[in-house]
Amino acid sequence: MQRWVDMSPRQWQEFINQEVCVSARDQHSFTGRVFTVDPVSASVVLVSLDEAERPAVTLVLGHAVSDVQVLSAGSEQTLSRMRSVFLQTHTPTHTLSADELQRRRESVRRWLQDNRIPVQEDGELLRVAHALTISAPYRPGDCSCANQIILARVQSLLENNPETSGDALTTESTQDSG
Amino acid sequence: MKTPVGVLRLPRGPEPNSRGFDPNSPRFQALCPTSLTSSSSSSSVDVEEQRLRAEQREHFLRTLLLMTDKRVDFQLLEKLRMRGRFGASDIDVLNFQVSDLETPLGVQKEALLRCHDIISCSFEL
Repeated sequence: MQRWVDMSPRQWQEFINQEVCVSARDQHSFTGRVFTVDPVSASVVLVSLDEAERPAVTLVLGHAVSDVQVLSAGSEQTLSRMRSVFLQTHTPTHTLSADELQRRRESVRRWLQDNRIPVQEDGELLRVAHALTISAPYRPGDCSCANQIILARVQSLLENNPETSGDALTTESTQDSG
Repeated sequence: MKTPVGVLRLPRGPEPNSRGFDPNSPRFQALCPTSLTSSSSSSSVDVEEQRLRAEQREHFLRTLLLMTDKRVDFQLLEKLRMRGRFGASDIDVLNFQVSDLETPLGVQKEALLRCHDIISCSFEL
């Protein structure tokens, strides 16, 4: 096997979601399912999701890895279980009904337009100024953008949206024909 | 709770004269085009590899976020084990900032662990 740290992201990707045994320096070995491999340090993140115990995560530093053996393959189910452990901060959008999502999307779109920000609906996404995308459920944390300044501007705008910050007030449109 | 011991040695601060970008850092060596491990030079292959790289790094950063403020078991070289509260990592994963580190010499209130001395970190969710 090629040296672990010399592998490419494609090669590391082969191990992700597999149940593996990682052999490391000083005769240590670790078993678990691979959640990810850090491309900068080649460190392996292993998750153990036994039903009886609390989930445990082990991070094996890339420089210490001597060998990785696949014990068994993962499935869609194991992948989504792992992801739910790590991406717990995301509200799963399926808990919100389509109507509720539509209503929130409308509210955010109107707020942005009232603030002179060009925004277009693209299915479930909101495309802002051809630079930023807001995905369901349209909270400040759901924005993605390559430009840090635009991201910060739009996020603080969303935080100040009176409709979604707990108030029942509707914003009066102050837009003229612009 | 054990009494913290005095600080034995302060860590070196960042370089005062540079902008933080060190061409000799392992990260630059890993990512600079002349040493990238991608096999082909065609742009479609690079895009896919870059996408994987970004996704893997993002998941790793989320792991570090999850580890923050948790009590972590560090397995170090020479069969040494220590427990501490994980604070932060630097961008190249070369140093970990930890608090309340239980060492054989006592509890260090704040410490910087060199990642090169660490084999693994374990924590429970």
